Amino acid sequence: MRRLVKTLVLVSIILGFSFILTVASEYFIPGESVRPLAVFYLSTTFNPWLPYLTVYSPEAVTAIVWDYRGLDTLFETAVFYLALIAGIALARGISLKADPGNEGGLSVIVKTVTRITGPMIVAVGASIGLHGHLTPGGGFQGGATIAVIPLIIIITFSVFFVIGKGVTKDKMLVLRSFGLVGIGLTALAALIIGLAVGKTAYVFQNMAKPTSEVSLPAYFNESLVSGTLWFFNLFEMIAVAAGFTIAFLLLTYPENKEGENA
Amino acid sequence: MIPPETLVYLFMAVAAIGSTISVYYAIFEKDLLKAVVFSAIQSTFYAFLYFLLMAPDIVLVYLPVAVGLIPGVLIILISKTEREERVDEEAS
Repeated sequence: MRRLVKTLVLVSIILGFSFILTVASEYFIPGESVRPLAVFYLSTTFNPWLPYLTVYSPEAVTAIVWDYRGLDTLFETAVFYLALIAGIALARGISLKADPGNEGGLSVIVKTVTRITGPMIVAVGASIGLHGHLTPGGGFQGGATIAVIPLIIIITFSVFFVIGKGVTKDKMLVLRSFGLVGIGLTALAALIIGLAVGKTAYVFQNMAKPTSEVSLPAYFNESLVSGTLWFFNLFEMIAVAAGFTIAFLLLTYPENKEGENA
Repeated sequence: MIPPETLVYLFMAVAAIGSTISVYYAIFEKDLLKAVVFSAIQSTFYAFLYFLLMAPDIVLVYLPVAVGLIPGVLIILISKTEREERVDEEAS
């Protein structure tokens, strides 16, 4: 009852402030026109008639994240990797071994539902990640969606089941490092091609620029891959999914109870 | 007849108030497991808001992280500590 009264007070305060803001907006109305910076991005993100400015990606957000400001995203990935390294360092000395005698987990109904929905979630995550240059989404989004499935399996089946199936910390670390190496090589792809054919090229270059003729293919087998964007999304998806899986494995490993020797 | 744009704004207002109420309940709930559920409800309202504000990229990263991963991690954390929040008697 007391909580209900407090909720009503809260709602009325919000509504009162909203009313004041409505009156205040009579004096300040944000314009409906698109700002010049947004016009630039929207008019160049997929524009075959401007070959030196376009990214060949109809998804402006992914184009900005991995092309216009690609270096920022690379360092964001590095921050996530360092956080994970810190987590692994905190959990050092813990060895995760499969324990076939430990048949934990939830009921058969929950396990069956998890078995059915698991592949669906992975498919949705892969679709979000690999279509990141065409539709809303991208590598991080797809990887985070896929990472939900290890968490659900750990909770419904127990962490020993996951390790028994071969999803160990070391294997996930290898997968994550593979993703990061892939991101690094994709960032250097244009430079490597440029060195091979003896032309000027830049790090993080995607499409041809006026000072550099090196360009990654925008179309592969007549389907749009937007040069580096598809590869960045693929490797980022692998790295994020494997990274979250390591975090869950370390978090869910049961700790020793008091008075029990390791 | 109400124009569709007004309906969208109305729905956004309802979602925003709903998220604020969920935050209030999440903060004052003593049962931490219920607090996690209220926090997830707030995240769902936010996901609606992002979608109606035409930011589908944010929706796609917000849904798995805020509705899937964070409640999962918090529930693991609660299972390792205590479910009830202790109240300091001198403070209350």
